[in-house]
Amino acid sequence: MPNLPPKKEIFLTGLWKDNPVLRQILGICSTLAVTNLMVNTLVMDLGLIFTVCMSSLTVSLLRKVTPLRIRMMVQTLIIASYVIIVDILIKAYLPDISEALGPYVALIITNCIIMGRCEAFARHNPPGASFIDGLGMSLGYSLVLIAIAFIREPLGFGTLLGFRVMPQGFVHWTVMIMAPGAFFTLGIMVWILKYFRPQTGEEKG
Amino acid sequence: MTKRVLSVVYMFWITLFFASLVSAVKLMNDKRIERNQTIKLQSIILRVLQIPTPEQMPEQALSRLFADRVKEIDVQGKTLYVGYEEDGRTIRGYALPVGGPGFWGPIQGMVGIAPDAAKVLGIAFIKHSETPGLGGRITESWFTDQFEDLPLFPIEGERNIFYLKPEGTSRAANELDAITGATNTSSAVETFMNRELDHFLKDLWGQIGETT
Repeated sequence: MPNLPPKKEIFLTGLWKDNPVLRQILGICSTLAVTNLMVNTLVMDLGLIFTVCMSSLTVSLLRKVTPLRIRMMVQTLIIASYVIIVDILIKAYLPDISEALGPYVALIITNCIIMGRCEAFARHNPPGASFIDGLGMSLGYSLVLIAIAFIREPLGFGTLLGFRVMPQGFVHWTVMIMAPGAFFTLGIMVWILKYFRPQTGEEKG
Repeated sequence: MTKRVLSVVYMFWITLFFASLVSAVKLMNDKRIERNQTIKLQSIILRVLQIPTPEQMPEQALSRLFADRVKEIDVQGKTLYVGYEEDGRTIRGYALPVGGPGFWGPIQGMVGIAPDAAKVLGIAFIKHSETPGLGGRITESWFTDQFEDLPLFPIEGERNIFYLKPEGTSRAANELDAITGATNTSSAVETFMNRELDHFLKDLWGQIGETT
């Protein structure tokens, strides 16, 4: 592409300006599911960062040889392969966390951010830029998830990364442990962000 | 070659490549995954039999302790584990794998039973898919510890071996605290544990003497 923005710009777009969770409202399912404990959140983030970066890189490397009409099949194949690899590695090296995350690791496959980036960016752009784009987007996703877990775990369990942070008599907010707690937290975050930094073209309503 | 054929050939090769890659990673880690699961099962069996294990025990030492103190037996097609005292002869207890439907998915656990089948030594849950922080609290020690020393007797009529009651209302030795906010998980645990324990007392317990 002749008018490819600089790498730093690509990275920041994913990380903040066009944040996949807060701006594009993608990957919500996993955002709701894993953010009640910080440890689960961090492992999910690492899994997603690896998958998005590697899938974008691979799709981009194959972009000139992949026939257009079967590109989605190829993308799904690539994404699924990387996710299964992540799942196997977590099972082998982090068995406790694999148990806590249960089916969520395998469900990284369905995270729309991955295929979204392959379709929207990686298949038109060179490998380096695609990798950076994937890194920015997945880190953007990770930051939001960490922020939500930072609110949910202390309120729901009274702990942070397993350490007690709330006073002894603190009554746990059960709703924060369940998916609705994540809905409220995420909703409030999107609202605050939109209030202070409306998306272009949205001001008129 | 037409475009269509090219697509098929391309898809074939790329699938072959990625399938091989995934298989290779799986083969390289298979042993490790299997060992993780074995170690976990062994440590749970030792725990429900109340055989003390030092904290942070290395995996090999745990497997050795397990081999020394626990024997696997087959009773009516069901695998049970017999735990022995340090002398290697006196029976310390039996570990019985239990399981049943939970609220979201199947729950699997292990119950340690005293050699005279008069009480529970300890229980642990191995696998479940209950809500973390609600039904998932069945794995927490305050819940599982309650089962220690629970008196056992075969169920007759309507009476259960044990009941799960709302927290703070349990009166008798066979009334244990349920999990607040996880009524469905609690009653599921109550149902299948009573059934499995009763099955052990009525059908399996009498057969064990013949196999050991």
